[in-house]
Parts: sequence; C-alpha cells; structure tokens
Amino acid sequence: MGVTRRNFVKFAIGGVAGLHLTPLPYKLMDDIAIWTQNWPWVPVPPEGEFLSVKSVCGLCPGGCGIQVRKVDERAVKIEGRTDYPVNPGGICPSGMGGLQLLYDRDLRHTGPMKRVGPRGSGDFMEITWDEAIKTVAERIASLRKNAKTEALVSVDGNSKGSTLSLMIERLTKAAGSPNYVRMPSLEDTYEMGNLLMMGNNGPMAYDLENSDYVLSFGSGLLEGWGGPGRIMNAWAVLREKASKGGATVVQIESRASNTASKSDKWIAARPGTDAALALGIAHVIIRDNLYDQQFVSNYTSGFEKFKTMVLGQYSPEKIVDITGVGKEAIKAMADGFARAKAPVAIYGKGKGTLNGSLFEFMSVQALNALKGNINKPGGIIISDPLPLATLPAISPDGVAERGILTPRFDQAGTNKYPFAVSLINNLIDVINHSDKSPVDTLLVFSANPAFTLPDSGEVNRALKKIPFIVSFSPFRDETSFMADLVLPDHSYLEKTDDIVRPNGLQYQLYGLTRPVVKPVYNTRSAGDTIINIAKAVDTKTASSFPWKDYESVLKIRAKGLFDSGGGLVRYKGAEPAWKWKTASDGPDYKSFGDMWKKIKTDGLWYRKLMPSAIDSGIFKTASNRFEFFISQLELAVKDYPTAAPGGNRLKELGITVEGDAAFMPHYEGNHHHDEQLPLTMAPYEMVNLASGWAPSPPFAYKTIFDDQLLGSDSFAIINPGTASEFRIKQGDYIIIQSKACAVKARASLSHGAMPGVVYMPLGFGHTAYDEFIREKGVNPNLLIPPGKDPLSGHPVWWTTPVKIMKG
Amino acid sequence: MDSKLLPEGVERCSFGMFILWMLPWLAILAWGGLAAVLCLVKGLNQTNMSNVFAFALWIVFDLGVIALGAGAFFSGFLTYVVGKKELKNIINAAVIIGFICYSGATAMLGIDIGQPIRGWFIFWHANIHSMLVEVSFCITCYLGVLIVEFVPIILENRKLDQIKELHIFGHNLHHIMGVIAASGTFLSFFHQGSLGGMFGVMYGRPFAARDGFYIWPWTFFLFVLSAIASGPCFTIICTKLTELLTRKKLVPDNAIQLLAKVSGWLLSLYMVLKIADTLVWIYDIAPRAGFKFMDFYREGPYGVWMVAAELFVCGIIPAIMLMTPKIRENQGMLVTACLLNCTGIILNRFVFIIVTLAIPVMPFDRFLSYLPTWQEWAIGFAVIAYGFIVFSLSYRYLPVFPKERELNPIAG
Amino acid sequence: MKKEHDQGKYKYGMVIDLDKCTGCGTCMVACAAENNVSVRPDESDKQRSISWMQVYKADNGKEFPEAETVYFPRPCMHCEQDGRGGHAPSCVSVCVATATTLDKNTGIVSQIYTRCIGCRYCQAACPYKARYFNWWDAYFPVDKGLERYLSPEVSPRMRGVIEKCSFCHHRLMRARTKAYADGRRKIKENEYITACAEACPAQAITFGDLNNPKHKVAQLIKSKNAFRILERLNTKPKVYYLSSRDWVRKIADNPVDEFSPISG
Ligand SMILES: Nc1nc2c(c(=O)[nH]1)N[C@H]1C(S)=C(S)[C@@H](COP(=O)(O)OP(=O)(O)OC[C@H]3O[C@@H](n4cnc5c(=O)[nH]c(N)nc54)[C@H](O)[C@@H]3O)O[C@H]1N2
Ligand SMILES: Nc1nc2c(c(=O)[nH]1)N[C@H]1C(S)=C(S)[C@@H](COP(=O)(O)OP(=O)(O)OC[C@H]3O[C@@H](n4cnc5c(=O)[nH]c(N)nc54)[C@H](O)[C@@H]3O)O[C@H]1N2
Ligand code: SF4
Ligand code: SF4
Ligand code: SF4
Ligand code: SF4
Ligand code: SF4
Ligand SMILES: [Mo]
Repeated sequence: MGVTRRNFVKFAIGGVAGLHLTPLPYKLMDDIAIWTQNWPWVPVPPEGEFLSVKSVCGLCPGGCGIQVRKVDERAVKIEGRTDYPVNPGGICPSGMGGLQLLYDRDLRHTGPMKRVGPRGSGDFMEITWDEAIKTVAERIASLRKNAKTEALVSVDGNSKGSTLSLMIERLTKAAGSPNYVRMPSLEDTYEMGNLLMMGNNGPMAYDLENSDYVLSFGSGLLEGWGGPGRIMNAWAVLREKASKGGATVVQIESRASNTASKSDKWIAARPGTDAALALGIAHVIIRDNLYDQQFVSNYTSGFEKFKTMVLGQYSPEKIVDITGVGKEAIKAMADGFARAKAPVAIYGKGKGTLNGSLFEFMSVQALNALKGNINKPGGIIISDPLPLATLPAISPDGVAERGILTPRFDQAGTNKYPFAVSLINNLIDVINHSDKSPVDTLLVFSANPAFTLPDSGEVNRALKKIPFIVSFSPFRDETSFMADLVLPDHSYLEKTDDIVRPNGLQYQLYGLTRPVVKPVYNTRSAGDTIINIAKAVDTKTASSFPWKDYESVLKIRAKGLFDSGGGLVRYKGAEPAWKWKTASDGPDYKSFGDMWKKIKTDGLWYRKLMPSAIDSGIFKTASNRFEFFISQLELAVKDYPTAAPGGNRLKELGITVEGDAAFMPHYEGNHHHDEQLPLTMAPYEMVNLASGWAPSPPFAYKTIFDDQLLGSDSFAIINPGTASEFRIKQGDYIIIQSKACAVKARASLSHGAMPGVVYMPLGFGHTAYDEFIREKGVNPNLLIPPGKDPLSGHPVWWTTPVKIMKG
Repeated sequence: MDSKLLPEGVERCSFGMFILWMLPWLAILAWGGLAAVLCLVKGLNQTNMSNVFAFALWIVFDLGVIALGAGAFFSGFLTYVVGKKELKNIINAAVIIGFICYSGATAMLGIDIGQPIRGWFIFWHANIHSMLVEVSFCITCYLGVLIVEFVPIILENRKLDQIKELHIFGHNLHHIMGVIAASGTFLSFFHQGSLGGMFGVMYGRPFAARDGFYIWPWTFFLFVLSAIASGPCFTIICTKLTELLTRKKLVPDNAIQLLAKVSGWLLSLYMVLKIADTLVWIYDIAPRAGFKFMDFYREGPYGVWMVAAELFVCGIIPAIMLMTPKIRENQGMLVTACLLNCTGIILNRFVFIIVTLAIPVMPFDRFLSYLPTWQEWAIGFAVIAYGFIVFSLSYRYLPVFPKERELNPIAG
Repeated sequence: MKKEHDQGKYKYGMVIDLDKCTGCGTCMVACAAENNVSVRPDESDKQRSISWMQVYKADNGKEFPEAETVYFPRPCMHCEQDGRGGHAPSCVSVCVATATTLDKNTGIVSQIYTRCIGCRYCQAACPYKARYFNWWDAYFPVDKGLERYLSPEVSPRMRGVIEKCSFCHHRLMRARTKAYADGRRKIKENEYITACAEACPAQAITFGDLNNPKHKVAQLIKSKNAFRILERLNTKPKVYYLSSRDWVRKIADNPVDEFSPISG
C-alpha cells in the first residue's frame, strides 16, 4: 500500500482514536508509575493494632503526663495527656520528639560498651552486662581493699529526692565515699536561700496560676524554666486572665526573650543587676509604706536593719545607674507589685538547669516577704516534701566509715562553703590543680558535665585526668564519650521510674514512668544496674542493697504516700490541681496494692493544693520568722575560724560588702570590669533546644530559625548599634574572646539585644551524638571562665566579660 | 566524504571542518547530559531550586526559548495563512528554530518535574482549570505540528528525496501545510497565552497576578503578543548569525525587512498594552493586595531598574528602531534592535518567574535569593548546544534557505 | 441510599491565639511526628526543609528596649478561594494532575502524593509558602532505626512530590470510624482535633467546625481581635489568628492604607 494522503490521514486518525479507546496502555503506564515508586529506601510503616499507653515524660524534671500511641509493639507518637494535672494536653517540643531519642541507634548506647578509641572519639566495643558490672564492681572492690574509697565519686543529674538519686548516693556511701556530687540547678539556689531566710529548704513553688501580678526576675518562663509543660499551661491561664484585665506579667531581662516579648511589660535591666533592681523596688515599697505591715511585724525579723540598708543604699536614682532601668519603671513595678492582690516575685535564670545567684534570689525573696505572699494564693508556696518512705539506713563497715568521714573533694558544707551541698565546679578545680587526680573512679548518672557545665574546657581537662570513668547514660553524649565503660540506662520510655515532685509544682505530685515499649536495645535500668553492682562488689556493700530489683525499691518508697493518707491517683481534669482547697480529698484507692496498681497504669499520685498557713511554723529559722537579717549567716561568719589567721571571713565567702548589709540580701556589684574585655557575653536558653543532659530530638531542629543556626554555625545576638561599632553586619563571622578562650560564631543583629551584650544560645556545639546534632554551632560554656557566686560557691555563668572582632 | 548528502549547488565546508565546529557543542551537550542524568538519578536536590524558588533557571530558559521560538508559528501564519510569499525564503529556518526551541524546552521540562515517570499524569489526570495543563497540551500538540512541519524539510535531503515513498510522503505533507500552519497558530496562541496565564492567575502573588478577560488574565494576551513580537526577531538573529558564520547571504532582504517591520509594529502594540498593564498593576492590583509599587523592590538585586530596562531600553527603543525603515535597513541597527527586543522578552519572563517568587507575600517573611548550580547551567547550555547542533546539521544537509543557491552562485 | 458517614457541610478551621503562642515550636514537632515528616541532618536549610507547620517570627520594628517579637504559626490555610473568586484555592486550581483538591464537605485541601508529578506550580501559587517539595528521599538510613516510629496512618512520601498540612486528615478518618462504630453519624467537637492543636502547651490553637456556632472556633472568630493573614488577597483562609496587639494584626496584612487599631 502506498502512502497516499488519504491513507495517511486515515492512519493518523485511526491511531489516535484507537489509542484513546484502549485503556490498556494507560493502565499499564499507571501501574508502572506506581510500581516504580516502590523504592526500597522509602519505608512503608507496617499496619497493626493501635493502642494507647499512658505514662509520664522523664526527659526533664517537668514531669508531664504523656500517652504513647502504639502500633503493635512500635511506639509511633507521643501526645500530652488531658488526664494529668501538670500539663493539660500539651507538652514541650523535646517531649514531643521523644520517640526519636528512643529509636535513633546513633543517639543511643545500644548496650554495655568499653572504650576502644581515644577518649572523646566515641569508639566503643560492645561487651556483656556481666563483664561490664564485674569491671565496675572490681574497681570499687579494689578501692575498698586499699582503703581509698573516697576516690570513688558519683556525679548525679537526676532530680533531688528521686529514688534513683537516693540509690546513687547510697551506692557511693555504702562503698565508702562522701563524694556524691550533684549537678548544679536553680533548685540549689532556692534551697540555700530559703534555708537562710526561712530556715526551710522544703520544696518551694510559685503559685503562678493563681497569681495576678508576676514580677519575673529573668525567669525564662517561656524558655523552659520550671517544668515547661506546666509553666506554658500556666502562661495560658495567665493570658486568659489578662485578656479579662486580671493578670500582669512583668519580665525583667536584658534580652527580648520570648518571655520578655510576650509579657505585658518588658524591663531591660543590665545582666547581673537583678539584686539591685529588686532592692530598688523594695526601697520604693518601704518608702511609700506599701508593704504588708502586719506580716512584716508578725512574721519577719531583721526588718529594721533591712529597711535602713534599703532606704540608705538602694535609692531609685542609684538603681537607675546600676540597672539602666528608669525611675518610673521602678516605681511602676513597686506599685504594681505591692498593690496587687496576689503578686509574686519570681527568680530564675533561663531554664533553671543551672544555679542562680544566691544574693539575687534572696533579694527577690525579700520582695515576697514585704508583701507577705507566702503560702497564700498566687504567692510562694513552701510545702513539705513528698511523704515517701525512707529507705533503711546503710550499714557501713570500717572501710566505708573511714571513707565517708574523709573531707569531700568539693568542700561543700565546709567553712568555706557552709551552705552548699555539692559543688561540682570545686571538684573540677581540685582535679585540675592536683598532679594526680584524687578521683580514681567517676560514675556519671543522667548528666553530661562535659557539655552542660560552665567553663567546659576545664571540665574536659579534669575528665581527661580521671583514670576511670563509668557512664550510665542511655545517650551517646560528650561525657559518655570520655568514659571507659558505658552501662547504658533505659530511656524513660522503657523503664519504671519515679518523678518526685516535678520542678516547681505547688501541689504534691508523684509521677511514675512505665515501660511503654520493650527495651529497644540491650540496655538496663540504672536502678537495677546499681543493685547489680553493689551485689558484685562484696557482701558488705551488697547488704545495703537487699532488694531484688529497682521496682521493689520504688514500691517501698511509694508506700509512704499510702501511709500519709489521702491523695488521688486519678485526675479527671474537671478541676485544675492548682485550685486552692480547704478540705483534703481522696483517697480514691482502696489499699496500697490498689494504689500501686493504679499508679503503675496512670503514673500519678497527687494531692490538691492545700499549703499550711504561715503561722503553722513554716519558718524554721532561729527566730522562727522570715529573716531579712540572716542570723545563720552571721553565725557562719562570726563563729567560724578564718581559713588563714587574720583573714577576712566575709571575703573568704566571696562577700565584698561590709557591715550589716553582708548578712542581708544585697547587691554585690559588678567586679568584672575589664578594659580589654569591654562587652558582656550572656548565654541564653530556648525551650526548643535542649541545653541539659538529654539531647534535643532531631525534630526540634526544624524549629530553630536560620538566624540561630545555619549549617554548622550558630549565631550570637548583638544589638545593631553595638555591631556597627565593630563594623559587624548581619551574618558576619565574629570571634568572641573571653579569659577562657575564643570561639567563632556568626552575628545576628537584633533590637531585642541590649547594647554591649553578646547573647549566645546554650545547647549548640555538641561534639557527640549523631549527624542531626553533632558539629552544629558553638557551646558558650567554653567561654565562661571559672568564677564563684558569693556565698553559694556555685559557678557564675550568666555574664562573662568578652571582646568581639570580625572573624 | 559526506558530499552525497549535501544539498545540490551550494558550498559547504569540509567534513573535517564541520566536525571541528560541532565538537564544542557536542561537549556541552554531553556536559548537560551528565547533569541531566544526575538530576534524574539523584533528584532535584542537584539544583539550587527550593521551596521558595519552585521555578528557576530552567523555567526561565523554557519560557524564554518558547517565546523566541514563536517565530516559527508566526512566520508560518504569515506565510501560509496570510500568504506573505516572500517569507517562504525564511520559513524553513523559522520552523527549525521553533522545533529546536520547543523540543529543547520539552526535554528540560521532563527533567524539571520531580516525578518524570509520572509526567503523563498531566494528560491522564488533567485538571482543566490549570493553565499549565493548557500549556502542556498545546505544547505537546504543537511539538507534533512542528515535527510535521520539519519532516518535509528533512525529506528534502538529497539522499532521502531519492526514495520514492518518502518523496510522496513529503509532498503530501507539503500539501496540508496550510492546515498544519493554521492549527499550529491556534495551538501556539493558546500555549503562549497560557504560559502568561500561568503567572497571571497566581492571584496569591500580587507581583504576578493580573485581572483579565473571561478565564484569561491579561498576561495571557501579553505573552502571546510579546512572543510574536520577539519570535521573528529571534529568527532574524539566527539567520544573521548563520550568514555571519557562513559568510554568505542566505535570505533576501525583503523577507528580513518584512519580519522586522511586523516585529516592530507588534512590539509597539505590545509596549502600549504592557505599559497600560503595568499602570493598572501599580495603581489597582498591587494596592488591592496591600502592596505599594516600591514594596516589590525593597530588597535584593531586583530593583526598579528592571522595569526601566524591560519597558524602555528593551521595549520602546527597539520598537522605534524596528518601525523606522531607515534604522532597520542598517544591518547593525537591525541586529541591535532584534537583540534588545529578545533581551526584553527574556527579562520579562525572568521577572515573572524569579522576581515573583523572590518577593515575599507575607509581610513578615523575608526576601531570599537564588543562584543556579552547575547542573542547572549545564542543562540550560546543553539546550543551546543542541540548538546549534540541530541547526548546523540542518543547514549542512537540508535546503534550509531556498534562495541560498540564487544568492550565492558557485563560480564555475 | 443511606450514607455511611455524615457528609454534611463542614468547614474545619483553626484559630491560633498569638497572645498565648509562645513560639515554642511544639506544634511544628507534633505535626512532623504525627505526619511522618522526614528530618534531614541539616534542618537549617530552611528553603528546603519540610515543616507543614512553620512558626514565623516577626518584630514590631522598634529599637531596644521597645522591640517586641510575635510568632505566627502557619499551617496550610486551607484557603477556600483563589483570590479572584474562583471556588478553589490557588494551589488547587493550578495543579496540573489534580493531585490536590478542596473537599467541599470538610473544607480540607488534600494532597495526593502518588498523583503529584512534582511540577511545583502549586508551590509558586501559594502565597503562604505552605507547600513543601521533597527535594530528597525521606531520610531514614538503613540501620539507624528511625523508621520504627513511623505511623501507618500517613504514607511516607517519595522524593519529587509536594506535601503540606492536611489538617491531620487521618484524624478525621479516625474520628469518623469511631463515630460509625458507635453508631453515630456526627462526630463531636473534641473527637477531631489536629495534632498541633492538641500538642500546644500554651493552648494557643483551637480547632473545629467554623460552620457550627456551638464550636469554639466559630465563636472565637467573632472576636474583634480575630484576623487572617493576607486577608486582602481574598484567599479566604480557614486559619484565623487572635491578637490584642495592634501592630501584630497590622503586620499580618500588608496594609497600604489606613489601619484601624482596636483600643483596649
Ligand atoms: N539551717 C542551718 N544551716 C546551717 C547550720 C545550722 O545549724 N542550721 N549550721 C552550720 C554548720 S555549723 C555546719 S557544720 C553546716 C553543716 O551543713 P551541711 O553540710 O549541710 O550538714 P547537714 O545539713 O547536717 O547535712 C547535709 C545533707 O546531708 C544529708 N545527709 C545526711 N546523711 C547523709 C549521708 O549519709 N550521706 C550523704 N551523702 N548525705 C547525708 C542531709 O540530709 C543533708 O541534706 O551547716 C551550717 N549551716
Ligand atoms: N543534733 C545535731 N547536733 C549537732 C549537729 C547537728 O547537725 N545536729 N551539728 C554539730 C555541729 S557541726 C556544730 S558546729 C554544732 C553547733 O552547735 P551550736 O554551737 O550549739 O550551735 P546552734 O545551736 O546552732 O547555735 C548556738 C546558739 O547561738 C545563739 N545565737 C544566735 N545568734 C547569735 C548571736 O548573734 N550571738 C550569740 N552570742 N549567740 C547567737 C543561738 O540562739 C543558739 O542558742 O552542733 C553540733 N551538734
Ligand atoms: S516539659 Fe519536660 S517533662 Fe514535659 S514534655 Fe517536655 S521534657 Fe517532658
Ligand atoms: S505549640 Fe502553641 S505556643 Fe508553641 S509555637 Fe505552636 S502555637 Fe505557639
Ligand atoms: S495555604 Fe497555600 S497550600 Fe494551603 S490552601 Fe492556601 S494556597 Fe493552598
Ligand atoms: S507539584 Fe504536584 S500538587 Fe503541585 S501542581 Fe504539580 S502536580 Fe499538582
Ligand atoms: S493540622 Fe495537622 S497537618 Fe496541619 S499543621 Fe497541624 S498537625 Fe500539621
Ligand atoms: Mo559545724
């Protein structure tokens, strides 16, 4: 057939029509298109039975209620619980990403390991649990044989009063060492300050939900302070009230943090001058007779001395100079605070994962005392610790008794640091200033001092000197990379553990995490590991650990809750737990067995808010009053010998003022002025970036702005005016230099930054973990030189003199 | 050695020389091929496109070449439908340029989509409301038309023409060329328009959005007009370049002058409408969406100078030049005017694509910029290289310029 | 024929209270965790990272110490119109392969990953930057173990397609299934809540049916403080915001002409 025009047209039309009439080619192509998408590396999540398991988040001391959605054995989503009093429904970004921390093999130690590479490299070899426990036990046993038990040191980052903490302290002591060292936290500052002013170091809380005027001295309410789950809910409650004109939040902070931006009023005081500002406000309150005279005369002591000092030395004029805050603002705060019905002055720096300044805290606490808002709605709540049962005393043998009586390496509680319980910075100093590390074996629990402590250069130097480090961390963190042996704990989603009074809660609450999933890796609950180790050391040490497993210890302690009577193990959510009650509620369980069973499924025991009245003897000072003039401090100064004959006791405690003021909350002044280092570096924290022990889940990096982290660079925030003095533009590389070292970062210019201050985010600059976290940005802790907060002896980390240059 | 394949009665360089000329283009094509393989195998992460710059260099290239390729349909229209006989002397070149532009653009689009395997979903799951569907349908059909237009030229190759069936086939195609050209015109009108429509209907992007007529925003018509105003100029540039390279006169002046004149008038018409459109945009569309004119040019390298460059330097000036017989009769001026005209149209496409995407719509959003990766450049240049290769082959082996023999009689 | 589910006219929408929003980013994490959004080693490349819910940061433009920050959490707005009265959002009307549609019964704008050809036209058309392209394959390296948290309710995406907020559509399906099992046709207000709304620790996000006057969202949008982002584009988003701060409402909408502040 020839190709004629006619044939051609016929063929073309026929072909096109035919193609449209048969679906076959399309169907085939469709199938091929779908089939070609079956790329083996695109995961297909298996289907299965859905179930939801209730538990408690253990990533931070916030203790939020969580429920985990599961498909068969796989946990697929963490959600907040509405039937949990702490965090009605919501949780924080870290808690939300918890499953990544559970499953990511490169973030976790997948089993007991011994180090094979150099320290810090993260090269480990998997060993058996038996071998791991034997290695630690033999090490401890040999210290005991040689009567060197004090060379066993534990560092503990678990919450104070948690059963795991008790077990760690117990193991240390039973082996014969006084050197149980805690990671510093804001709670330490609260405890010390309250012990001095109120003689009461029981749990303290700020009743934010019921407050109508929150005067916040740097507390990063929205940066992760307190228990973030609870605080952010409290924020919503306050905002709800504010929209009806019923609550005011004033944030005192040098940087326009989220809290500052979102509060009703932002007061930009120079960093490190909070004490002066608080006392300036006190000046106005006393001068204008705005304080609660009844409270002051009935329940406080030393007021006259305080008044003399405050009126004499803290005039608003002077405060303006020190803090940079205007006189009107000071007056407005004094008025607002003193005239409010339920005001509270709260103190804290950032998240509160590190200590605060003791005198600053006491100055702020003095404001609360002037208003008498102690154990009143919306004020400060001092409560009794949870009525958990105490564990039987240990029975130390001769070796242990000798060891326990040796002085602590960190000198906490000695003449020099009479009020400190634990000073890890001193421990670091002692190690670095000895030829040979006095610490032979270091056990590290739930802590990452190599990263989170200020002056981290020195910390790492000390860690390198310690002959043997054992990490119990479930995570491949910096400190565990320094360890010779890793005995990884379960993650909080794989074990039963208690959360004893989550940080800052007004009411008593006991939380219990439960194994939501079977252990994903070859890990073991640290509580069990401790028991295993004790049993393997020797029979004497073992005798202090007569329990089958950790859960039975938890149960023994929880019995105390039952014995105390009352309490609830179910929360319906109808009435918030922070509502003040006059009559006790509960119990909503029949027996201890019933209670424990319910706690194990719902993770909760709590008692609604019902604090004891002020006159019920909550002040346990020598005067049985709230002391503006702190008699204990005077005693500690006057009755103690000086370190060197003829020395100045006050100076030894780090106090620079003289006279009565030394024994009262006061402003210590800024002694750091240095011509060479004209700027101040202030680290800051973010709720969406973990800066403590547990890492941020990779998901959280989605929430970090690209003017905070870009590629491998983190940014320092600088005021545009300051930046222009140094010819620095947005995004420029800069070198920030302190006495300790110099680091490189990029500049982010913001009008939210105070001129003269360089703000650096805490939580970047990891050298461990995996590709999601490692080598991103710089850790400002490196810049912080050693420095001690007066009296408390804790590190000063909130301001560091620095200079900057274009890098 | 290929002398049997060369058209009769014309002079061509030696085969060796030809290969030498082709080598760099083939090298660029291979470079682009490598980039294309990388993009297809590893994905579009090989480019610097992003969620902000969803469309980037390739789309600018695509829209640019498609606009410039409009010389094909418009010359076809003038030749076969309007009956401008003098254009028969340039129509083959126009068709080949059109074919190069459209096939190049289609190939680029195939790489540009994230799921090339599913490209046919455009037809199978077509959303009739989408301008891009209109574009795809029309371009695909028009590419077919161009092939049909190109095939008879290929069949005129000396060797192929000797095969009887092919000769008849080619002859038949010639007969229906009027119908083909008409349908090509129709298709082209719609896809040039819908390319403009694509941007004009982005009502969420006040920088690009335009009101319009029926379902078509004004950009629909402006794109058609700007394409037919610049396409002939591009044909002229290509012809002049060929003449320069071959050192021969290939097309009689009357054809070139006719194209230039038509271009000039169309460009003038386009400029009038474009300026009106810009004013309506500045005074009505932008403020309705909450933008002041200068808001669009607050940040980044894309300043108001672009408006001046597009409207005056590359718009009004070449329009005047092309309309003035004295100026366009000067070869240098003619080429300059054509170049300005084509630059203006590319600039217009660039502005609609890149600047539209760069300007944040949410007031609290930021301006972001974009630089292509080598893979993107490679594929872009490969299309140019492909154009040179196809055109060179065509020129060498096909009677592209019917008047070549007449204008360049071989001595002896 | 009796319908299986209630197919009535719903208009699901969201109200985000910017006075309450603390910028914490939990909504972003919750959304990513709920919807199997991939996390890449470098999430700082914001132009290419994927976050169906994106928290934007803005300031009042004043100098220290008057500077103030606000956060705009931005899911897909599930627009009702394209801005010129077309009854489909911009992204839907432009999509070449009908891979995204507006469900008239729920108001939810869907996205079909296996249909999308990855032309990104929708992305160019969306003024809210709510659409994200998969520039890479989802990052789940073999042996890392991360794929174990993936939810089977949301299919993981392949490289080369667009994804975006679905108003947690699978949660609607879940709620419908439950209602059906309970013999109900209607689902209750608290039965269908998006993951971001549920997770927000500041309770800044409220979700519900804008057509139902009993739902909290329907009441909240009547507030004088209620507004939408880029309202004058006329895309009719179903995501509303609340702010008592004038400058915040102002900054949301390119106000060329007079902006009328709300006193109080
Ligand atoms: N409020 C108040 N403060 C004081 C004084 C005071 O009388 N009252 N006195 C001052 C004087 S003189 C001194 S010496 C210092 C002493 O001050 P500290 O060294 O603080 O002494 P304590 O408060 O007796 O005990 C410290 C902590 O150790 C815990 N503890 C008890 N037994 C053990 C154990 O076996 N192992 C471990 N690891 N911990 C244990 C206690 O529960 C307590 O929390 O305090 C000074 N500060
Ligand atoms: N149960 C028990 N006993 C202990 C200890 C313990 O922890 N628990 N700790 C032991 C230790 S470490 C120590 S140092 C001793 C301390 O034992 P003591 O020296 O007995 O100290 P206190 O009983 O705290 O205070 C002494 C007295 O000083 C009074 N006083 C207060 N302020 C002043 C002042 O300004 N001037 C004068 N002149 N008197 C003042 C107080 O009212 C009190 O009566 O106790 C030891 N005994
Ligand atoms: S606030 Fe703490 S306890 Fe609550 S979810 Fe976050 S990490 Fe977990
Ligand atoms: S979770 Fe809530 S408070 Fe946090 S950023 Fe999202 S909307 Fe704002
Ligand atoms: S926000 Fe964007 S993606 Fe969402 S419906 Fe509107 S136009 Fe579409
Ligand atoms: S990228 Fe996908 S969803 Fe978007 S327009 Fe193209 S095909 Fe449609
Ligand atoms: S509604 Fe669901 S999909 Fe949309 S942003 Fe919120 S969590 Fe993500
Ligand atoms: Mo003592």
